[in-house]
This record gives sequence, structure tokens and C-alpha cells, in this order.
Amino acid sequence: MEGLLANLLNGLSWGMLLFLISMGLTTIFGVMGVLNFAHGSLFMLGAYLSMQFMRWVGSFWVGLLLGPPIVAGLSVLLERFLLRPLYGRDVSFQLLLTFGVMLFLDDGVRLVWGAAYHVVNPPPILSGAIPFFSQSYPVYRLFIVVLGPLVGIALWAFFAYTRWGKVLRAAAMDRQMAEIVGVRVPAVFTAVFGFGAWLAALGGALAAPHQSVGPAMGERIIIESFIVVVIGGMGSFPGAFAGALILGLLNSFGTTLLPDVQMALPYILLAVILLTRPRGLFGAEA
Amino acid sequence: MRLKILSMGVWEVIMRKKGLVGLLLTGFTLMLAAAGIAADKPVKIGFVYIMSGPFATYGQFAKQGAELAIDEINQAGGVNGSNVEAFFEDSTGKPDVGIRVIRKLVYENGVDVVMGLDSSGVASAVAPVMKELKTPLIITHAATPDVTGTNCNRYTFRVSLNINQNIAMAATIAAEMKAKTWTTAGPDYSFGHQSWEYFQKYLAKKKPEAAFLPAAEVAFSPAATTDFSAYVTKIMNSKADGVLISLWGGNLIDFVRQARDMGFFDGKREILMTLGAATEVLYALKEKMPEGIWVGTRYWFQANDTPLNQAFVDAYLKRFNVYPSYNAHGAYGAVKTYAAAAAKAKSVDKEKIVAALEGLSIELPVGRITIRPEDHQAVTDGVWGRTAADPKMPIRILKPIKSFAGKDITPPVEETGCKLK
Repeated sequence: MEGLLANLLNGLSWGMLLFLISMGLTTIFGVMGVLNFAHGSLFMLGAYLSMQFMRWVGSFWVGLLLGPPIVAGLSVLLERFLLRPLYGRDVSFQLLLTFGVMLFLDDGVRLVWGAAYHVVNPPPILSGAIPFFSQSYPVYRLFIVVLGPLVGIALWAFFAYTRWGKVLRAAAMDRQMAEIVGVRVPAVFTAVFGFGAWLAALGGALAAPHQSVGPAMGERIIIESFIVVVIGGMGSFPGAFAGALILGLLNSFGTTLLPDVQMALPYILLAVILLTRPRGLFGAEA
Repeated sequence: MRLKILSMGVWEVIMRKKGLVGLLLTGFTLMLAAAGIAADKPVKIGFVYIMSGPFATYGQFAKQGAELAIDEINQAGGVNGSNVEAFFEDSTGKPDVGIRVIRKLVYENGVDVVMGLDSSGVASAVAPVMKELKTPLIITHAATPDVTGTNCNRYTFRVSLNINQNIAMAATIAAEMKAKTWTTAGPDYSFGHQSWEYFQKYLAKKKPEAAFLPAAEVAFSPAATTDFSAYVTKIMNSKADGVLISLWGGNLIDFVRQARDMGFFDGKREILMTLGAATEVLYALKEKMPEGIWVGTRYWFQANDTPLNQAFVDAYLKRFNVYPSYNAHGAYGAVKTYAAAAAKAKSVDKEKIVAALEGLSIELPVGRITIRPEDHQAVTDGVWGRTAADPKMPIRILKPIKSFAGKDITPPVEETGCKLK
């Protein structure tokens, strides 16, 4: 029982971190149709910048507040000046560009902060552990378990109920029609890209107290995020939520119950989904 | 015209004297020319480390160690009078990249020797290629026993501790602990699996009543893992009271801090970390590294109080502002070992270097190492210690330090499975 609950919490906390990162990925893809390879690097940049602010100011919350908007700002420039000229061209151009940005950011981070690992402390209120049966469970993980769904619901409400959310959905659904009714689609795209980058950087800032901050930390998480997005359905929020939960729980329970194939489980699931439901669990039909 | 006649005359004289003087003369000139070329031609050393990605900090330390050794050698007149030139390549930790950059170093840069290698996976793939390249390789970090065992060859050497040696020490320490049942947390590739395999073998010999969890209950995590909670939970809910941790680098850092938050270090289990005393890890974790844990390393900067070690630590600290890690020492030691082999061979000819490295014994900061001619593994002293806080130090130190003589921890050649001759 104890092991079961611990595994459940382990799976949930990892899943929610994946969810935060996948949300940005799926938003950018859903609205713009851009598969952003640099998403993991934006995640990494978010972690580094938050860490830097934390060192300067000494507060985790300041880092969490200031780091992600800077990444979003950089991404707005990236979208405006690098990505926009490529919209009319083949998708492979976008892939190449975002891949190049990824390499650039990975090496750039190494130039600024060096190759060493860094450790970020959680804020005092979230550090420590609560008693958990005969063991204990870290508060910070519970914080992520709670925060994930909250951010998810807020985003969903934004897309479902606000005027801005409706404009975004309109632009995603039919670009031409949206332009005809007066939506400035290029501006919407820039905003969405910045917003997706903010989500990635937020994920990085939240992951920093949980794992070591080091070069290429984004490469490790981006693959699983892609799997989450594909399983859930490209561009779908509920899909990203379900995909992240499934992957998180597969990871925790797979480690205990099926250690020999645990590493392959996400890929097996990915293959099964692609064969049976190519659009993902919650993907819209073409 | 006169000049031509004169020179013809000289040649005629030489020919008449049965060519003896001329032969001497030309021979002398050629020797001079050859010496002149040798003095101009630098000795080229190729280094292959992980310079990018999550393990890049290991490559960075190694590069610093190599640069320190090369500068010391060049200031003292070089290797056999020639300046040393270094070429650094990034293996990225991938076997195919490792092979490619070593080919490039040998064919394009024309290096005289290759040094380095962090990952056992890269080392296993690269070692057989050295036969084809006919270039000596001195491994300074990768620990798989295969490259000086079943997979050994004429050109592959290792100056650093291998898994056998490190785990022999771990088993000696474990045998004195009260833990009855052991499990492991390690990376899910050959290094983690071999560490666990040798640990079971060696500990069972020293303490026959020791029990080990079956394969399905131990924790091997993929190298890309960043969330270790599931593995920590698995170990904490198993009946094991002893844990051998062979995770390293970022994996070890993530594991330690997440495990710490989950109450893993509550004193209920005995813990051995085979590479826990890597300063790359200690600098990152600082006070987050629990105290009183037994940790291993290939070299510890405070373990040896010889003047040579003191000079190395001081020079390194002064230049790079950090204490040298074992990887820094590995690269430093390999360069010094190569210089000694070149002095012994009076040449940097690759075949002569191989012959000179076999059986070479040299004093390094870690202590005296001797390269066994039979399998090319260095017999080198090893060190483990318990982590302790020291207010004067920026990182956790080892206290007490437990040193092991190289001959006691190195398995005999017959056990390695290496057949060079």
C-alpha cells in the first residue's frame, strides 16, 4: 500500500512536470503548426535564468517570476525575425531552424554558465518533507502535483472562455477566415510562440529545484514531451494532460513492476497509439 | 662555370677515396637535418573526452588537467626536446562519435598518441580500432574491465582504476558493514551492470552470508533519467539494508538530492557510492551531499601527502580555482606517463612507445603506478572515504580516508581474460 501510494505520487509529480512542458509544445503546434525542436532548450534557458535571478536576489519566487518572461521575450524576437520568413516554405525549414536554435542555445548556455552542474534549492516553505507512512515525502513534489493541474485548468479556461482564447482558436482552425474577419494572425502567432516559450521556461524554473541544472538538460526531457504530445494528440490540452499522466505513471510503476522493459514502455505505447489512433488519444479527426 | 668544375672536382676526389669520406659527410649532414626536423616537429597528443551534453563538466576538468601537464612539460623542455601540442575532441559519450574523432585525430592531425575516454561504452568500441590505427591509446577514466581484459590489445593502455579495482575496495568495505542484503542503483548500461556483477562476486567471497536482491528488484536507470523518485521508492520499499550506487555525474546529483528529500539517507541502510567522491559532483551538491556516506573515486586530492601531489594540487587550485577531480588527475597523469615512456624509448615512435609503456613505473600525484605488460592495466593505489563536512572547504571532504595498495585490489592477469601475446 505504502509503495503503491509512493509510486502514485512519484508518477503524478513527474507527469505534471512533463505536462507543463508539453503544454507549450502542444500550444505552439496546435495554433501555428510549428514543431518546435528548441522547446527543450527554452526549458533549459528558463532553468538557468531563474537560477541566476535566485542567486542575485536570493528568492526562488523572484526567479520563477522573472526568468520565464525573459525567455518569452527572446522567443518573440526569434519568431518575428527567424521563424516568420519561413512560414510559406516547406515544414522541414522550420524543423531545421528550431534544431539550429537548439544547438545554439545549448552551447550558448555552456559559454555563459560553464559545463558544471548546478543545484537550486526549493524555497524554504516548500523544502523539507511531510511524514508519509513510515517514510517521508518531499513537499516540493506535492507542490508540483498540485500546480500542474491548476496551470492546466487556467489555460483551458483561457482558451475556452476568453475573447483572446477564442481568437487564438480561430487562428488555429482557419487562418484565412480569421484574417478575413480582422484577426491579425501574424501578431497572434508571435504571441503564441512567446507564450509557449514562457510555459517551457516555467517548466524549467520549476524543474530546477528538482533536478540538476546543467548543459543539455532540455534534451533529456524534450523526447518524453514529444511522446506525451503525440500520445495525447497534437495540439490538444486534455491530450497533453492524459499523455503526461500516462507517461509519469508508466515510469513509476514500470520501474517497480517491469524493470526490464521500463525504458521501452513509452516507445511501445507510442508505437501502439500511432498504429491504432494516429491522431492521438484526444486528437481531432482530419 | 668555374664553380661547376670545382664542385665536380670535389665529387671526383670523394669518389676516388672509395666514397668513404663522402659517405661520412652526407651521413652527418642527413643526421643534422633529421635532428633539425625533430626539434621543429611537435609531439602531438590527441584527447578525447565528453565535452558537451550532461557530462561536459568531466571533459572540462580533464582538459584542465591535460593543459597543466603539457605546460609543465613544455616549460621543462618538452618531450625529448620537442614541444607538446594538444588536440581536443568531443566524444559526446557516443561510441560511433568516439571512433570518428579518433580516426580524425590520427589521420588528419597526425597525433602520436590518443588519451582520454570517459564512457565505458565508448572505450569498448574504440579499443579494437586502435589496432587498425596502430596508435597507442591511454585510457584515463572509462572503467570497463574488458578493454584491459577480454577485449585487450597491443595499443590500449589504462592508467586509471578500473571497475574490478574500485569494486574490490567497495566489497572490502561492505564486508565490514552490518548490512545483510544488498541492492544497487546504477546506470542501465555496461558500467552499472558490471559494477553490480563484480560487487556480488567479490563480496560473496569475503562474506559468504551476504545476500543480494534478484535482478528484477534492483534499480538500473536509463542515462537520460532526471526523476529518480521511482527508483528511490523501489529501493526504500525493498528488504535491502545495503545499497551500492554506481550512478555518476548528473545522474548521481539528481539521485542524491531527490533521495535525500525522500528520506533515503535516514541511517537505516548502509550506502556505498562508487564514484561519489568526484569533485564534479561534490562541487554541485556542496552541503546537500549527506555526511558519513562511503564514497569511492579514482583519485582524491587529499589522500596522498607526497610533495608531488601537493605541488599538483597547489598548481591546479591556483590556475583553475577548484580542487582537481579524478578526471583532471587522469589526464594529467596520462600526459606525464607518456612523457616518461618517450624518455625511456628515446623516441615518440608509436611502436617504441608501446614497448616503453609496458612495465613502465612512474610516480604520479596519486602515487606510484605500474603498467602491467601482460594486460596494460595500471596497478594503482585506490582510495575510499566517508563524506564529512569541513568548514574550511567549499565541498564535502573524505574523513576518514581509506587507502588500498594497488597490488591488493588488482585482480591477477589470469583473471582478466587478456591474451596479448
